[in-house]
Amino acid sequence: MRHSLVAVAASVSLIAGATHAQELMFPPGDDPRFTWDSYEALKSMDLSGETISVFGPWLGPDKELVESVIAYFEAATGADVQYSGSDSFETQIVIDTGAGSPPNIAVFPQPGLATDLAGKGFLSDLGQETADWVRDNYAAGQSWVDLGTYAGKDGEQRLYGFFYKVDVKSLVWYVPENFEDAGYEVPQSMEDLKALTDQIVADGETPWCVGLGSGGATGWPATDWVEDMMLRTQPPDVYDGWVSNEIKFNDPRVTGAIDEFGYFARNDDYVAGGAGAVASLDFRESPKGLFESPPTCYMHRQASFIPAFFPEGVVVGEDADFFYFPAYSGMDLGRPVLGAGTLFSITSDSRGARAFLEFLKAPIAHEVWMAQTGFLTPHKGVNPDAFIDPVVRSLNDILLGATTFRFDGSDLMPGAIGAGVFWTGMVDYVGGKSAEDVAADIQSTWDSL
Amino acid sequence: MEQVSFAIATIIVGVFGCVSYFYLTNIALDVIFPGRGPNAGRNINRASAIRPWLFLGPAILLLGIYLVYPVFNSIWLSFHDASGSKFIGFDNYVWLVGDKKFLESMRNNMLWLIVVPAASTFFGLVAAALTDRISWGNFAKSLIFMPMAISFIGASVIWKFIYDYRGDGSAEVGALNAMVLAFGGTAKAWITLDIWNNFLLMVVLIWIQTGFAMVILSAALRGIPEETIEAAVIDGAAPFQIFYKIKIPQIWGTIAVVWTTITILVLKVFDIVLAMTNGQWESQVLANLMFDWMFRGNDAGRASTIALVIMVLVTPIMIWNIRNARRELR
Repeated sequence: MRHSLVAVAASVSLIAGATHAQELMFPPGDDPRFTWDSYEALKSMDLSGETISVFGPWLGPDKELVESVIAYFEAATGADVQYSGSDSFETQIVIDTGAGSPPNIAVFPQPGLATDLAGKGFLSDLGQETADWVRDNYAAGQSWVDLGTYAGKDGEQRLYGFFYKVDVKSLVWYVPENFEDAGYEVPQSMEDLKALTDQIVADGETPWCVGLGSGGATGWPATDWVEDMMLRTQPPDVYDGWVSNEIKFNDPRVTGAIDEFGYFARNDDYVAGGAGAVASLDFRESPKGLFESPPTCYMHRQASFIPAFFPEGVVVGEDADFFYFPAYSGMDLGRPVLGAGTLFSITSDSRGARAFLEFLKAPIAHEVWMAQTGFLTPHKGVNPDAFIDPVVRSLNDILLGATTFRFDGSDLMPGAIGAGVFWTGMVDYVGGKSAEDVAADIQSTWDSL
Repeated sequence: MEQVSFAIATIIVGVFGCVSYFYLTNIALDVIFPGRGPNAGRNINRASAIRPWLFLGPAILLLGIYLVYPVFNSIWLSFHDASGSKFIGFDNYVWLVGDKKFLESMRNNMLWLIVVPAASTFFGLVAAALTDRISWGNFAKSLIFMPMAISFIGASVIWKFIYDYRGDGSAEVGALNAMVLAFGGTAKAWITLDIWNNFLLMVVLIWIQTGFAMVILSAALRGIPEETIEAAVIDGAAPFQIFYKIKIPQIWGTIAVVWTTITILVLKVFDIVLAMTNGQWESQVLANLMFDWMFRGNDAGRASTIALVIMVLVTPIMIWNIRNARRELR
């Protein structure tokens, strides 16, 4: 008994030790695609002995990716960065900050929660200097500053969030081979997209796969649809007014956008499995219909992260591709793009935490992740050649080429709306309730806040 | 791997920590007040006056911190706004009474409250009676008891597959839809059907709790004095009469304890709803509503108000349950 206990203890300490030392993914100085100057510049900060705790939502492969980036910071400055991830980040960070034991840096998957915590005085001001830097160095810089600026405990507006790692949402995924076989063209406008949808139905096939299921978060994929439709039927200031509730949820301009989503999702002929299946079908399962033979559907509207849920062996760029979810050519609203992103905030101020934010401004912090997978950035100073994957590069081009960029509205609304009744409302809407009733329900909760 | 090693370390520290606390404080007490020497009598009296407090101390302390203090804090929070800083009187209670989702949760909780304890106890009693006298009874009991070992979340995932719906045109992989199709019916998205989905979620808890009810009731059935049954047999009672008129009245106290224990569990039901519907499709329950307002709505005031409603509902049942259990012990 004694021996086995010692053995367990020894292996425990071994395992704990093994996670520590991390190799640099790309040896500094070798590859000309990386901006190594920015890495060398970091060495001027000496942080040996400093420990920085970072807490975020990334787990599994994402955790390995972010750690591969952090390794460069550690190597350059000598600091010790402890990243921990949790799939209940949103719950945990509220507890940790409330209990007075926050990490140095918190990585928020969406700004809504950061706004709340900033209002309670749990976040540290990032300073005018950082705000100026973002304005100058990010594409559509001012919008990123605005998205990271919230009212503090005293009501004063300050920059609390620094955006790093962005997703593009206005995408339609398809299988080029299926399009070729059937003779379909990639639509350039919403009118074309609707015509193509009818064309596919006329050919006896099903055009769309839509799935709203997501366990406790069921309903969110529909909020992205509605937001995209808002941007395609109304000017951006109406979108902003809607997100801040200056324009009521049951305004006809909003219910109009909901019905635009319903045009696709509530038509039994348009969606695989019929409209009744939409609400309960898991969003991770839903795109698999594209790859069945014969295909269950031809198109799937989802954000840039979805290839992670494609069946094994599917190569994006060959077996699957995407096109920009087009705007109405008759409406003159430009090329609106809906996106989302993670933001870094300082929840416990220290010299190391400030230095870490400086690191995130360095091109190298972006390029290391770009050179791997699943990373888009509005940083204008990075070398786009660092994208190994031409598909990801063209995704980033959609981001940089947007005439209007708007952040995922449900992420900006108060949590009780954007992560609560908006989801429930969309599930009810797909289940057959009218857009007016659903919107009135959501508005009444908003009024009660 | 990190989590596994962490869990192992926690278990080792926890278990050995507890054992050594009781062992060492006990020794310390005996050293301070030795039961020998000139003051042996006084020392023994003192030591035995302190000992219960030493042993109860950690429990009282932990219960105080984790149960008593939160209750008062919740009451305080329920009179404050979302951030817990501004006093708003009864606003949260006013809001609660008018909130649609709250009324829906109350309705659903009442349904759960009626159906789940009744069904679990009934099936548990039937299973206990039927398995009592057959040769493979113990095997059957272990099978029925097994779901007790599955966590609520795990059970929810299993049942989610059973209720799974893929839609027209694709092959149905859910067991329920497969059965419905085999009998010539049409597949449905079961968990989205208003009202009925509540009962489908209840099935999960009944499935788990039947084993619990069965084990307790089967022990109670075995405890019935043989003479009463023999007397009934001699008097010519039919098996059903024996069951209803002789056995059940004698284990009535146990049935009440099982019933109320499950009732309390049902009032707190949360994991199953969270994992299967998250309160969508009109299946919200109080505990999940509270969680929603705390962690999605970020509103400590409203969440606390709902928590207090749950507490007020649970307390009388709990008192009754404890009384019953104590009467059983006597």
